[in-house]
Amino acid sequence: MNGPPSSLIVRAIGVSRQFTMPAGPVTAVRDVTLEIGAGEHAAIRGPSGCGKSTLLHMLGCVDSPTAGTLLFDGQDVSSLSDAARSRLRLRQIGFVFQRFFLLPMLTAAENVELPQAEAGAARDDRTRRTRELLEFVGLGARSDHRPSQLSGGEMQRVAIARALANRPRLLLADEPTGELDQSTGEQIAALLDRVNADGTALVIVTHDGVLADRARRVLMMKDGRIERESTR
Amino acid sequence: MPSVLSIVLLALAVTAPSTQDGEAPPILVTRQLAASEGLEQGQIIRLAPDSRGEGGRPFRIAGVYEPVPDPARLGTLPREVRLHLPDLLALTRLPDVPAGTEYVEAINIALVDPAEARNFARDLNARMPGVSARPAAEAAGSGATFQVLRRFHLAIALVTIIASTVFLLALTIMLVDERRETVGLLRLIGLPVRRILVQIFLEGLLIATAGGLIGLLLASASESLINAFFQWRYDTALVFVRITPYVAAACLAVAVPLGTIATVTASWVLLRRNALRLARR
Ligand SMILES: Nc1ncnc2c1ncn2[C@@H]1O[C@H](COP(=O)(O)OP(=O)(O)OP(=O)(O)O)[C@@H](O)[C@H]1O
Ligand SMILES: [Mg+2]
Repeated sequence: MNGPPSSLIVRAIGVSRQFTMPAGPVTAVRDVTLEIGAGEHAAIRGPSGCGKSTLLHMLGCVDSPTAGTLLFDGQDVSSLSDAARSRLRLRQIGFVFQRFFLLPMLTAAENVELPQAEAGAARDDRTRRTRELLEFVGLGARSDHRPSQLSGGEMQRVAIARALANRPRLLLADEPTGELDQSTGEQIAALLDRVNADGTALVIVTHDGVLADRARRVLMMKDGRIERESTR
Repeated sequence: MPSVLSIVLLALAVTAPSTQDGEAPPILVTRQLAASEGLEQGQIIRLAPDSRGEGGRPFRIAGVYEPVPDPARLGTLPREVRLHLPDLLALTRLPDVPAGTEYVEAINIALVDPAEARNFARDLNARMPGVSARPAAEAAGSGATFQVLRRFHLAIALVTIIASTVFLLALTIMLVDERRETVGLLRLIGLPVRRILVQIFLEGLLIATAGGLIGLLLASASESLINAFFQWRYDTALVFVRITPYVAAACLAVAVPLGTIATVTASWVLLRRNALRLARR
């Protein structure tokens, strides 16, 4: 699995992100250059407010850099229309957040089915894929439950299943274990390891040293810059 | 059919049946007059042209009729009788006026086909230069009272629509704001702005249509209640509220676009913002 990152998924070249605030501009990310290759397993660490989430959002094409270039699959993201960028997020990128972000009115299965339906998958394929995914995350029996009937760890597993629904090449996770206790967090970490082992590139933002240590590549951020990078 | 005129009664007295029975000309009395004076069909009554009862003549009540409701005389009991024109003339002619010299200022003419009123009036005006004929509906509509009433209704309707639009916009902004997390999430998953707007548009359309229809149902339900109350209150057959197909269509034509536009506008404002901030609050 540790092959060279021959096929690049996303490439950031000198990207910065500045927020205009009433009290003056806030630079969350400064001049970051970074490449994420297919099948990679990277972690981003650093003190609170150093720009980890902001960087992750740019890598996931949710947010755009105010300076520098971001290439996804060799394409300049800033040149894409909203529709094209949305399609990219829908099919190529999966997101997992600290606070799960499931749709509360949908069941676990419906939450997982939604991105597939949006991508135009046939009903039978969707049903099969959803069952597979929920079984993969260990929630085969809970598919008809709504988020309010699930525990935090279970919700995060549904969120991971949803993120994988359209077989993305890149899974981005922002503090995926932040709201979970230690043993539940470890289960989620193990699940993410399995996702990566199946070939999905994984970038995790985390404060959790144990979770970061599972990654082959650890990026340390400070004040919006990547200060240090280590590879195992 | 002999022409029939109505007259507001000044003096009225019930007389005992007399030998004149057979000669007493027939009249019709309004339901309200019959009820208030306890009159019945077949009775002989005296009608006089003045309140002292002088010069009265006997008439036989041939029937009771429901008068055509007149909004201009709302609240007054229609104490009216209908006489054949010669009887009326005979009753009201002053002693020194020779028969045949009377004149009338206006008469109402009932047409077999009321839709012909305009043509008939035009025709009559052309043929009889001294006569001014016009359709009754038009004559009523041109009355200043009705103009004022109509403008008043329009003003109420406009104020209602403007006030409820403001209310509606505030409501949709609240509703949409409640769904900002959902919308942000859908954007994060990868639903394009346009797709979400279409969804919201369809929802807004559905809700606005349903709301419009519920409003019409409510209005139709209260229509008969309101009419029943005022008809009872004023003892009239006058229709106070009527939801015509035109009114219903106009309501929907205003409500549905308004509701849909309000929803989409509120959503559009929301969708322009960054998906992340929406989802995170
Ligand atoms: N939408 C925004 N508007 C203004 N400032 C922002 C916005 N998002 C982030 N920032 C600022 O950018 C900086 C980096 O924020 P970011 O969320 O990336 O940090 P983080 O490393 O993820 O922190 P944490 O570990 O606490 O999640 C912070 O100073 C933050 O206040
Ligand atoms: Mg963060």
